[in-house]
Amino acid sequence: MKFHGTRVLLSALKYITIGVFILWVLIPVAWVVSLAFKPYAEWRVSYFVPKNFTWNNFIVLFKSEAFIGIMGATAIVEPVTKPLINSLVVTSLSTIMAVMIGFFTAYGASRYNTPGPFGLFFTLLTRMLPPATFVTPIMVYYSNLKLLDTHFSLIILYSAVTVTYGIWILKGFIDAIPIEWEEAAMLEGATPIKTLFKVVLPIARPGLVVAGLFIFLLTWTELLFALVLTNVYAVTLPVHISKYVGAVGQLYGPQAALALIGSVIPIAIGYAIQKHLVTGFTFGMVRG
Amino acid sequence: MPEKPPREIKYLATLPVNILLNAVLIIPFAIMIYLAFLKWSPAMGMNWWEAPITGLTNFARALGDARFITALSRTTIYTVSVVTIEFFLGLALAYIMLGDFVGKKAAIAITIYPLMLPPVVVATIFYLMFQSYGPVNNLFLRAIIGEDALRIYWFLKPDTAFITLLIADIWQWTPFMFLIMYSALSAVPKRLVEAAEVLGASSFTIFWKVRLPLIKPLIIVALVLRGLEAFKMFDYAFIMTGGGPGTTTETVSMYIYRTAILYTDISYAAAMSLMILAMIIVVVRAFIWYFFEKGR
Repeated sequence: MKFHGTRVLLSALKYITIGVFILWVLIPVAWVVSLAFKPYAEWRVSYFVPKNFTWNNFIVLFKSEAFIGIMGATAIVEPVTKPLINSLVVTSLSTIMAVMIGFFTAYGASRYNTPGPFGLFFTLLTRMLPPATFVTPIMVYYSNLKLLDTHFSLIILYSAVTVTYGIWILKGFIDAIPIEWEEAAMLEGATPIKTLFKVVLPIARPGLVVAGLFIFLLTWTELLFALVLTNVYAVTLPVHISKYVGAVGQLYGPQAALALIGSVIPIAIGYAIQKHLVTGFTFGMVRG
Repeated sequence: MPEKPPREIKYLATLPVNILLNAVLIIPFAIMIYLAFLKWSPAMGMNWWEAPITGLTNFARALGDARFITALSRTTIYTVSVVTIEFFLGLALAYIMLGDFVGKKAAIAITIYPLMLPPVVVATIFYLMFQSYGPVNNLFLRAIIGEDALRIYWFLKPDTAFITLLIADIWQWTPFMFLIMYSALSAVPKRLVEAAEVLGASSFTIFWKVRLPLIKPLIIVALVLRGLEAFKMFDYAFIMTGGGPGTTTETVSMYIYRTAILYTDISYAAAMSLMILAMIIVVVRAFIWYFFEKGR
């Protein structure tokens, strides 16, 4: 039974590999979760389960406080409330805009080939090139238009850089809808606009949800544009996290708590569209 | 369906997207091309359209700028390393998880969650992990090399600081490779694999000669997308190392950001941006040509 032995060994090896990888993925997050509930005295210890469980790390995030930061410079840290609300507002509105515009464009591209293959491919560029190479002129342009540090500037910018995903994900969904249904509706005398809104839109709704959640995920996590374009008034959550982590230096507990606050929504959304993540990340080039 | 789109549909499908992209991206892009040939900074006290045109000065300056060249080569090394490691890890993992086993759904769900986290959060996580009293030192290295482990300051040495960035990237994006490779491998028709088995091919041969050639286009897509993303890297370095110590972990994105925002040298930043864009387009084009068009 030598053959049987190798088989057992191989399958054991398989479980061990998977187990090791799962640990590698879980340990950093487990550490941050435990840190977020540890009091000051336990931030430098090596065990994971806190001895004195506390919510204090979360509470301080919602207060405005002055910290002695790196190199003795004091940093006034704003409460997390405003960035959180800003992120919700900016992300939701830009997502809705990107999905709707993406839907119209995808419909035209799918049924009538309107922007042409080159135009569609061009939209991909906006997503592939580094944001850092765009951010300079956008800052100049927005400051000329007096749009710096406004929600509006972020909303239109985010919808412009994510509309690509809307177009490509939704094009896949619309391509799969049988064209006969629209033809039937038009034969009945429905106008093209009515057909679009009353026939195609309801059928494509799952696609709209997937595209919307995916774009929400991407926008929610964006740092660089928001960092450059906002200052005080329209600061988003990633900007707040990046400034906070730098400003408070070694306040590990609140930093960990802030990381948790920043990841609740994306994790929830990510699992909601788990099946479609591949489609999303590859612009619909790969079916999930 | 009629061949030509009805007028309403045509407007709806082209106008909003064109207005949006033109107003937000294409006009600024045109401004950038102009800016790159100027000498302008807001500190000069004039508007950019009044600034003097200096031709190719900014581009020449970039070619002689050691900090730019170093950042560029460092970002390239970073991109190549993380994409290679992530690809092989992801492919291996996808192959291992292809068959059925107990708890497969849960295993996949756990494997892919780093993908959903914001990069700023991942950066914060690894900033905390690599503190001198963080678990990497306090738990793992202490078990191996003893108390000395607590005196390792990961972010104070260029090499170790760079390694922390690599680890953060690999941690977050190996699941991306895994996910694409997994769905690609699952889509390989079963009958092809079975036919090869009947012909007596070993599982290694099947993988190498049947599965891999079939998923090659998807591998290219995954490598290109991941490579482009890795080259953008900003968030990890900004939060974990701040580009430091000194400027030893500064990426191209960070240097452009600092040139534009901290040093307010807008026209120079625009020139560097254009050079980076041109390079990326050339590299991606060459990649596509090499894998898809050569020999056809």
